[in-house]
Order: sequence, then structure tokens, then C-alpha cells
Amino acid sequence: MSGYWAGILSILAINIIFAYGIFIPVASGQLNLGGAGFQAVGAYSAGWLSASFGLPVSVTIAFGVIVTGVIGVLIAFPILRTKGVYLVLATFAFAEVIAGAILSSEPLGGAMGISVPGYIDWYVSVIFAGLVTVFVFYLMATRFGLTIRAIHDDEDVSDLMGVSVRNVKVAAFGIGAALTGLSGGLYAHSFSYIEIQGFNALVSIYVLLYVLLGGTQTAWGPLVGATFFTLLPEALRSVLPATKNFLVTLFGETGIVAPPDESWRFVILGALTVLMMVFRPEGLVTRTMVERLQFWRPANRGVTQ
Amino acid sequence: MLLLQQFVNSIMLGSVYVTVAVAFTLTIGILNFLNFTIPTLFMIAGMMGWALSYYGLPLGLSGPLPWPIALMGAVVLTIIASLIVERFTFRYLKTKYGDSTEHAIPLVSSLGFLLVLENLVRIGYGTDSRRFEGPDADLTMNIGGIFVRVPQLVSLAVTVVIVLGLTMMIKHSRIGRGLRAIAENPDAANILGVDTRRIVPVVFILTGLLCGLAGALFAINYGEVSPAMGEDIGTKAIAGMVIGGLGSIWGAVLGGLIVGLIEMMTVHFFGADTVQVMVWGALLLTLLAYPSGLLGHNTIGKGKL
Amino acid sequence: MSAQSPLLSLKDVSKGFFGLQVITDVSFDIAAGARMALIGPNGAGKTTIFNLISGVYTPDKGQINFAGQEISLVPSRKRIGLGLARSFQNIRLMPHLSVVENIMLGQQSQAGGLLSMATPLMGRSRWRREAEDLLARMNLETYPGEVVATLPYGIRKKIEVVRALASNPKLLMLDEPAAGLNPNETASLRDFLMGISEAGTTILIVEHDMGLVRSLCDQAIVLNFGRKIYDGLTRDVQEDPLVLEAYLGSRHAQENAHA
Repeated sequence: MSGYWAGILSILAINIIFAYGIFIPVASGQLNLGGAGFQAVGAYSAGWLSASFGLPVSVTIAFGVIVTGVIGVLIAFPILRTKGVYLVLATFAFAEVIAGAILSSEPLGGAMGISVPGYIDWYVSVIFAGLVTVFVFYLMATRFGLTIRAIHDDEDVSDLMGVSVRNVKVAAFGIGAALTGLSGGLYAHSFSYIEIQGFNALVSIYVLLYVLLGGTQTAWGPLVGATFFTLLPEALRSVLPATKNFLVTLFGETGIVAPPDESWRFVILGALTVLMMVFRPEGLVTRTMVERLQFWRPANRGVTQ
Repeated sequence: MLLLQQFVNSIMLGSVYVTVAVAFTLTIGILNFLNFTIPTLFMIAGMMGWALSYYGLPLGLSGPLPWPIALMGAVVLTIIASLIVERFTFRYLKTKYGDSTEHAIPLVSSLGFLLVLENLVRIGYGTDSRRFEGPDADLTMNIGGIFVRVPQLVSLAVTVVIVLGLTMMIKHSRIGRGLRAIAENPDAANILGVDTRRIVPVVFILTGLLCGLAGALFAINYGEVSPAMGEDIGTKAIAGMVIGGLGSIWGAVLGGLIVGLIEMMTVHFFGADTVQVMVWGALLLTLLAYPSGLLGHNTIGKGKL
Repeated sequence: MSAQSPLLSLKDVSKGFFGLQVITDVSFDIAAGARMALIGPNGAGKTTIFNLISGVYTPDKGQINFAGQEISLVPSRKRIGLGLARSFQNIRLMPHLSVVENIMLGQQSQAGGLLSMATPLMGRSRWRREAEDLLARMNLETYPGEVVATLPYGIRKKIEVVRALASNPKLLMLDEPAAGLNPNETASLRDFLMGISEAGTTILIVEHDMGLVRSLCDQAIVLNFGRKIYDGLTRDVQEDPLVLEAYLGSRHAQENAHA
């Protein structure tokens, strides 16, 4: 396995876990625009523990998951009392507060970041991604998953049906936070160095967008979204030079500064988001699509017997 | 005396945030839409002002334009950009089910636009800051011992004129009545004869105008623009809007000034690094403890009215 | 609970919003096993009564007793567990869930605690099979591969009734279950509800279809402008002078408006 592709698979695995962390609260109707903040908590908890005490990776990552999960649950109680726009702003504000706090914290490296000992290979992240994927599929197939999706559609009627709406929302938020923390811990140990500037608003925005793009009705959505977003630069790498050559021959010397590839990736993500919201706001993979493709057979087994 | 000078400084600083905060609050109050492209429009105004004064019109139609013309052109471009945003975010909004995430569709679209516009600017002009050659920014007046820079005074005056003008327009003009009707009840407004298809774009024109003016004034005041200038201002403007109360123009004024004050105080007592945490922390606390802010209404932004 | 005391009892219940009095001093009893109709002109407050009973609103004054327990302060989420299930005037199914999933949501109050929340609801699950049986009993198919949003109005109306039944209610409250149904469907609805009643469930139904009301319900309560104006046998309802005035009065006003 070449180092290049190992790196990509590693990132893909981390992005998938990150996506699932955002997916769970969004599936219950709570848009989380603070993903980067939770990821930072996971990364820094694991990274700090590893750098300060040299504990094994399994311990530090577990620590990261627990810390993030606990913080997620604690902050969920006040935050989930807000609705709509206020909720989105509150999650965004929360991530910024976390980033700001870490930035001005000496023990956490401040603006310089932390060097993280304890390296993990690409396949560790991939294994975790596999486990998380199975876990989320399982979760969404349980009654808990059913109540999550019910709350998304109609909180008031869910309450009348006997669902503890607030508890389910907090649990969804907390589980999502824990998964996001896991992605942070894996990131810290895969790249050996973390700095808070990397866990910024842009990260929160794009993870939310590619989760929404993939589809929030089923557990397939985040897989599709994360894979698309991670592999997009690769696709661009082959297409972009050709397009640029074409444009240059068309317009002559354009005077346009050569773009970092990153920017095109976001232009495309942004443009697709706008188009999606116009034509298909539920995202690419919908419940109906899955039901009809009958991938998720177990749901239909009972009927055909 | 020093304290008074500080106070005056923070008012000057705050008036920049006020204009952008008013744009936010207007859109949320009337359309229940948190428009994340607003900071980007502000940045586009600044960058286009610079580009027009540095390069002139595209395709070599003219030489570098004098700064007043460049700024006026920038404002016009910003308004056009805002109308494009309207076409693709709001025009197509169809709430079919009224569930919690449907009301976020324009918000998500605006996030997509944010990515597209910001990155297109980066692709076109790189990420460096640019010097804007405007009027002499260092002209200072001495009013009873307090030093005030003339451009800041001009900004303050423009802000006051804008706010008063807007308030009067909303209270007394026919368009203003249409806007208020839509804010109260979008469906009823249609039935009552308000031509929403004509009035809604007015909000976006005003948004473009406000952001354009704010960007132009910023360029004049600080003599420097960059593709990143929207982020910082955006933060403070959103915080100002929330603290002042969503949907209230005077709230945005008050909130913007308060944020300016918080910033001044924080830099004075704790240093520039903690401003981020302070402002976002204030925002988060307001959202959790007192979401309607100082002057706002309870029903705005809750997602389901 | 003795055989004599009513299953549901409202005493002097009043409710207002922003100074507008919507329900005033309404009292009535529903005996266990009864089939009661709640009728009245539009805007009389019938759905508000449902909302008060199911806990969406809290009464300003008065008491609501269900199965021997005062429930005015019991949180809405707990009432379905006590045996109070309802359907809605504007269908409120979960549009992005399948038919079976909507029914399984109705079972939530029966499904118990943590363990039940953590078990998958797949093919062999008891909950799924019970949901499918319930649908079959009402001659509804499960529409596999569809979410509820894509189904026709009449089907969705029936699914809502089944969802209410999924919680094994003691009192089934239906808000205009026959609206939009053709005479055949209404007749089969009537037979279905009769069967449920005979199996022991008490029924309270808001309806405008007087045919259904007369063939299903022995007793009726009539509301007008938030007050009860009739409480007795269904067969005598149309002769009662107050009821006639309430209905004719509104029709009278309509006729004058068109003149």
C-alpha cells in the first residue's frame, strides 16, 4: 500500500466517523454546526494525554471519546432547549468558544499546537470506521433510531406517542459528540501533530454540508457524503489541469492566479449544496431510495415471509 | 479621560459591526433566514473595491478606477451578488412538511454560497491582504480632548443615516408595510395582496447595500482588504444581532455597540487573544440564557412559527 | 375503578388563549365501553377538547379524570401510556417513515424501557409483526418500499387510526376519521370501529358525517362556542332545540351572507 493512498484511506476513515458524529443529531432534526469544536476536544484530549503521560493509544483515544461524549451530553441540555436558528448559532458559538479557549491555553499548546506521540497506521482508522458504520446502521435500526427519525419529522406528535423527546435528543447529541471525538483522537494519532487553527469554522461547515449532501434519512448518507468529499480532490487532480488548459486556450492569458486545489473543492461542494437544496433537500440517499433498492433487506424480510 | 477615549473608540469600532448586524437582523426578522453569505458579501465589497481601483474593469475595458468610483462599483456588484443569492436560496423554498430541518434549507444554501463566493475570490486573487488606496485615513480631529479619525466619523454618520433611513422606510413606506406583513405571516401576506415576489428581493437588495456600504467604509477606514476580512466582522455582527435581539434594528445597533465595547475592554484587560472567546462566549450565554436578546421578539428563528 | 364510575370525566373545564375564551365550563362523562360522538359547528372547540384530554393544553379551570386518576397535570407524554390514544384532524403521520414504522411508533408507550430501545426492529421483531397484523386487520397493506408521504389521503387517514390502536388504548379518540372517505370506506370504518368497541375499547369520535355518528355512537355531546349544549342519546340530537339553533343559526348566517 503506497504511502499516498494510505494517507487518503486514513483521512477517508476519519471523515466517515466524523460524518456519522454529525449525522446522528442531524437525523433527529438538530443541525450541528459545531463539529470542529467537538473534534478538537477529542483530538486535544487524546493528544494531550499522550504527550503528557505517554499512555498507550488505546487509552488516549478512549479518553478522547469519553471526554467529548460527556461534554456533548452536558452542553446538550442547555443547547437543545433552543430551536431552529438559535440552535445552529449556539452549536457554532460553542465550537468557537472551544477553539478560543484552546488557543489561549498554554498547557494545550496555545497557537503552537501539540506534538502527539503514539502513531497509528492507516488500517487502525479504517477498522474503526468499519465498526462505527456497523454501529450506526444498527442504531438506526433500533427503536431508538426510530424515535430519532420520528422526532425529526414531528416533535409534538412524538411526544404524544410517549417518546421522551428531550432525552432522545440529548442522547443523540451525546452519541454524535462521542463519535466526533473519536474522529479527533484518531486524527491526532494519525498525523502526530495538531493545532487548533485546523479545527475551524470551515471544517464545521463542510462536514455539515457533506452529511446533508449525502442524505440524512438513512445511515448510507454519511458514507456517500464523506466519500465524495474526500475523493473529490483526487478527481479534480485529473480534471482540473485539463480544464485550465482548455480555459487558457479559450481566453488567452487570463491573469488569474493559480488556485490551490483546495479552493475548487469547496467551490464544488458549495455549488452542489445550493443545487441540492433547490432540487433535493433530503440529500442524495433517501429512505425511499433505500427501501426501493432493497439493500437493507432485513427490514423487508418479515413482510415477504 | 483615557476611559472616555476608549469608549469613543469602541463606538467607532462598533458602528462597523452595526451595519452588518442590521443586515443580518433584517433578513432574520422579515424572512426567518439566517443569511450566512452576509459576511462574504461584506468581503466581496471590499475586495471588489480594491480590484476595481487596482486593475480597473475586467477585460481591459478601463484603467484602474479612482477610489470613489471603485467603491460605488463594488457596492453595485455586492447588490448583484446578493440578488443571485436570493434567486437560489429563497426563491425555491418550498416547505412541504414543515419539519425542523426544512426551515434551515435557506441557511444551508447560504452556507453553500459562502463556500462558493469565498473560494472563487481566493482563486481569483489569492489569499493575501491588499492595500486599498483610499482617502487619507489618518486625518484626525480633536473634539474636546478626544481624538477621532475623520473616516471613522464618516462611518458613524453613514451608519446613523442608514439606520434612521431604514427605520423610517419600514414604518412609513408601502414597501415597509409589505416587509412587515411578510415578517408577521408570510402566507397571510400573500393573501392580503402583498406581492411577495417583488418585496422579498427588496430585503436582499438592502442586504447587498448594507454589506456593500460596510465593506466600502471598512476599506476607507483601514486601508486594507483581504479575502478573510468577512470572518472576523461576521462573528461580531452575528453576536451583535443576537445580543441586541433577533429581528430588531435598534437591537442590532445596541448589540453592535456592545460588542465593540466588549472587544475594547477585553483587549485592554486581557489582551487581543481572548477577544474571540469573550465575544463568542457572550453570544453563547445570550443564546442559552436569554435568547430573545435585549430588544428582540420571542417568535423569530424558532423554526416553526 | 368500579364498574359505575366513568372512564373519562371532565368537570367544569375551561380554557382560553390570549383573552379569548375557547372552552367554558364543559363537563361530561364517558362510561367504559361507550361509543360517544363529539359534534358541533366548526370552531366549537372540539379539537381543543381533544388537546386538553391528551395534554397538549392544560385547562385554566376544572378537572379531567381518566381511569380514576386526575390527569390535568400529567405530562402529555405519559398519557398515552395510561390508555389515551388519539388521531388528528389534519393527518399527522411521520412523512419520512414507512407505514409499518409509523405504526411501530404508536407502540412506543407499550415498548418499555432501555432494552426495548436498544433492540433492532427488523424482520423477526415482535413489534414489527404486531404492527403488520394490526394493519392487516384493517385491510391495509404495508406498502413496503414507500414512505407515508407518497400515499393517498384516504390511506393515510386509516393508517392514523391504526397507529392510535397500536398503543392498546382504553380510550380511542378519533378526530374526523371519516373526512375524505367515500361511503364504502366509511362503512368499513364503522364496522371496524364497532369491532374494536365490542372488544372493549371506549370510543370518542369527533365527526361531521352524521350517518357514521348515528350508526356507530349511542351517545352524543354537542358543543357550540365552547359550551356544551347537549349531552344525551344520539337519536334525539337532531330534535333538540338548542342543537338546531346552533346548526341552523350558522347556516342562517351563511344564507344571509349570500343573499
